[in-house]
Amino acid sequence: MLSQKSYETKQYKKGLKAADAILKKFPDHGETLSMKGLTLNCMDRKSEAYELVRFGLKNDLKSHVCWHVYGLLYRSDREYREAIKCYRNALKIDPDNIEILRDLSLLQAQMRDLTGFVETRQQLLTLKPNHRTNWIGFAVAHHLNSNCSKAVDILEAYEGTLEDDCPPENESCEHGEMLLYKVSLMEECGLFDRALEEMYKKEAKIVDKLAFKEQLVSILVRLGRLEEGEKIYRSLLFMNPDNYRYFLGLQKCLGLDSENAQYPAEKMDQLDALYKSLTEQYNWSYAAKRIPLDFLEGEKFLEAANNYIRPLLTKGVPSLFSDLSPLYDQLAKADILEKLYVEMEKSLRSTGCFPGREQKEPPSTLMWTLFLLAQHYDRRDLHDVALAKIDEAIEHTPTVIDLYSIKARILKHAGNLAAAAALADEARSMDLADRYLNSECVLRMLEADQVGLAEKTAVLFTKDGDQHNNLHDMQCMWYELASGESYFRQDDLGRALKKFLAVEKHYADMTEDQFDFHSYCLRKMTLRAYVSMLKFQDQLHSHLYFHRAAAGAIRCYLKLYDSPFKSTSEEDNDMSGLPPAQKKKLRQKQKKAEARAKKEAEEKMEANSASMTKSGRKQHAKPVDSDPHGEKLLQVEDPLFESTKYLKLLQNNSSKSLETHLLSFEVNMRKQKILLAFQAVKQLLKLDESSPDSHRCLIKFFHKINNSPDPVTNTKKLISSVLEAERLTISQLQGKSLFDVNTTFLEKHKDSLMHRVAAAEMLLLLEPDRRPEAIKLVLDTTNNNIPLNEALGPVREWKLEDCISVHKLLKSVFNDSKAACSWKTRCAEYFPYSTYFDGCKSSFVSTEASNSDFNVPENGGLDHQPLVGGNILNGSLHAFKGLAI
Amino acid sequence: MVCIRQATMDDLLAMQACNLMCLPENYQMKYYFYHILSWPQLLFVAEDYGGKIVGYVLAKMEEESSEPCHGHITSLAVLRTHRKLGLATKLMTAAQNAMEGVFGAEYVSLHVRRSNRAAFNLYASTLGYKIHDVEAKYYADGEDAYDMRKQLKGRLIHQQIAHHHHHHHGAGGCCSSETKTASASSGVNPSSLEGKGSSSES
Repeated sequence: MLSQKSYETKQYKKGLKAADAILKKFPDHGETLSMKGLTLNCMDRKSEAYELVRFGLKNDLKSHVCWHVYGLLYRSDREYREAIKCYRNALKIDPDNIEILRDLSLLQAQMRDLTGFVETRQQLLTLKPNHRTNWIGFAVAHHLNSNCSKAVDILEAYEGTLEDDCPPENESCEHGEMLLYKVSLMEECGLFDRALEEMYKKEAKIVDKLAFKEQLVSILVRLGRLEEGEKIYRSLLFMNPDNYRYFLGLQKCLGLDSENAQYPAEKMDQLDALYKSLTEQYNWSYAAKRIPLDFLEGEKFLEAANNYIRPLLTKGVPSLFSDLSPLYDQLAKADILEKLYVEMEKSLRSTGCFPGREQKEPPSTLMWTLFLLAQHYDRRDLHDVALAKIDEAIEHTPTVIDLYSIKARILKHAGNLAAAAALADEARSMDLADRYLNSECVLRMLEADQVGLAEKTAVLFTKDGDQHNNLHDMQCMWYELASGESYFRQDDLGRALKKFLAVEKHYADMTEDQFDFHSYCLRKMTLRAYVSMLKFQDQLHSHLYFHRAAAGAIRCYLKLYDSPFKSTSEEDNDMSGLPPAQKKKLRQKQKKAEARAKKEAEEKMEANSASMTKSGRKQHAKPVDSDPHGEKLLQVEDPLFESTKYLKLLQNNSSKSLETHLLSFEVNMRKQKILLAFQAVKQLLKLDESSPDSHRCLIKFFHKINNSPDPVTNTKKLISSVLEAERLTISQLQGKSLFDVNTTFLEKHKDSLMHRVAAAEMLLLLEPDRRPEAIKLVLDTTNNNIPLNEALGPVREWKLEDCISVHKLLKSVFNDSKAACSWKTRCAEYFPYSTYFDGCKSSFVSTEASNSDFNVPENGGLDHQPLVGGNILNGSLHAFKGLAI
Repeated sequence: MVCIRQATMDDLLAMQACNLMCLPENYQMKYYFYHILSWPQLLFVAEDYGGKIVGYVLAKMEEESSEPCHGHITSLAVLRTHRKLGLATKLMTAAQNAMEGVFGAEYVSLHVRRSNRAAFNLYASTLGYKIHDVEAKYYADGEDAYDMRKQLKGRLIHQQIAHHHHHHHGAGGCCSSETKTASASSGVNPSSLEGKGSSSES
């Protein structure tokens, strides 16, 4: 059949001609109609394709070709369930059709229909036992279906089919991979002795020596053969003395492992000695020197830290602080480190040498020490001191870019996001070819809600200048998330949704990505990698980026539900702050931009379709985005329904996260899904009953229940009886009114700001008349000093972001501008750099910020820049240079 | 300080993020999948003490039978914050050793921007690469690339095998057993994995 052949060789035009020739004589020929449809599908003529394929099938329901083609059509549209049905119908007619069976097996793997996958793979092996992939596929199917030992048996049977137990000689890599896979299966089902025996027997056939050793040592350790294990770990360290896992493995073999890094004195000495000898053996390995800092204490820690830090300062290693920062979780060590740094600084200043040394350090050592100190004080929330140190370092050597990046970070922590962005931009401008500096700057800009500027900056590194598509096409998720979150803060829900859903789409695409590998990996024999890829895919949506995107999207939908989308006429009010002349200008500009965008889109569309007809083949035609600003996304009929899609993914994949259940509570309360909301409350209490948010949800929920009218319908009665029963299982509620529950909670956490605020908020909810009391609860909180070993000024408990959210609550929920005002004054003192609170050291920055007030919806892009004071970027830089202390 | 180890599936998203942070040549996830599912031995990461991926090397084997068996560095990146630790050298060495040891590669090739002096120096001085050719306008922005190569000691056993590329399985030399599948299925969704995910080769 010519048309089929042309299809397979992708000569679509030819195929089409052949099909048409047949159809001229036999216009109802089902299989030809189907093939024509399939061909059209490849030429992007979707609707015609479906029509023809369906028509073909109707004319020849008994044809396996027609069913197969129908399945292929669905498959190309990712409609896998439908495709499976079609294949099954095709197989009813032609049960032994290898091609269809193979196609079906791919879909079953993709959809994780594992029993079906095993069956199909068995059939394939029965039909074609002389194909290697059929043996392997059958084994993998059993493995995925949790039948490890069966998989081992199949692989052994396969080996039995090989001549002299030997693979063809150009397949030695693949054969070795197969053996490693088999051994890993044996390990998985607990056949350690057999696995070990097999490894020794087949050692010569396993080409990948690194994998061999890692697999071998894993089995040895499981068998408790630690002495042999030790030898292997030592040889692995010889191959790579920078792999921490080998060090830890060696420790375990020597009986020197510990779950929580707590060791008795005698073991500590042994460990110390072990690492001293390893350091001698591998003196270029940082790992051997760094690991002891985790377990050493007191004097020994001090000495080891000293020896570790000094050469790195001399060398000027910028990541030194981030390397040490896990040690800060142990307060005693953080204090020792501070003492160390300060002594070094003092000595370098006075003598130019490290303490107790005669050898002069290069001048850069002092600069790197100041760099380290700045980060240290930043970590300890002493932003004043941190800034002083970093400024001194900059003065010492103004050309070191890392200093500016760190200064930006300190300013961010101190609460001046605009200054942080300007500093990061300064760093960027010092090496325009470095994308890392560019990315960091873009991130700082997005954090400061300068979306337009951020876009303009990011575009410098995307090839075609068409930034949106490029960052999106390359799945640049950090960017999409950060800009989505910024749009959300600015209440631009359309653009925010657009970004969050873009990230969600990347994850859907990744799920899709696995499809081609189901057949590829069986051929390539990368079986261990393949199985781990499937496992990775199964929990893909638990990844942090996805969580942020889904949570962001749900928040957008909640906001949209609470205050439905404004139509364009209302949007005019947003410009009300502008004088009429500017308003007119702005509107004209917008109109022009819209017209231009429309024209460009049309041109692109035409160009695309032109290229398609010319080659007759599916080009990488980029569909034009008809909703670049997410306006259509705002016009959803039922935002809560939309949010449920993402909520389900979070519940299935991030069930350990408080945020998941908070969002579930918010969504379901609005949907009046009482039992689901209650589930969320229960989950919250289970995860963290002392969290202020869990407390809020608990009180809000039962407050609502208490104030609901008596149930009338049967369903409502049922729900209410379920809740009455469940109520008894919640310990907090026993024998108490909600008011008492709230009071108890307050008593228990009376020194914590965020707990007090939650209690105050709930008090207001339960007894609206006691508003003054509730507000007093918030305002009377004291900001205690943290007991720290510091001579440099007090460090207080409150966090900037918490204080900001309290201020917002005072304004909104408590609706008391006077209280909000006094809160602000108080916080301005605690956070002098904070622009939010107008702290005294943020003042000259805030004049810049007020300039940019109507710069905020600058998202529209750079066109608006001149209008809203394009001098912001340049102007601000000068201002921030004066930020030295 | 920083752990150098083979990459696992769970590192891929972080590798992509690291790439997007610091390099102008970027790839979709599928291209990373393609690498790790073809040559899992050739991907290495640098992981800092907090578990963050701060560098990686993404490498592959060239499997065209017309050329001798050799490896290729697709992409190498180390975050700016983690320079001066010799991470790039350690990552490259690990990948090269695996190419040689597992696949018997005779040499390893890579492309580098003409203007990227720092990278050029690393390859030429520290790692012993030599300029093999210049590829005009190799990069999307029009810049030329140096095609650099470093000789490895391809293993005898592998070299023998490399001559068997006319064998019926033999799309490739040492490291491949690509079998042909020109079924109707692969036509709809061509499984030409290579290149699909990439914006440009590096």
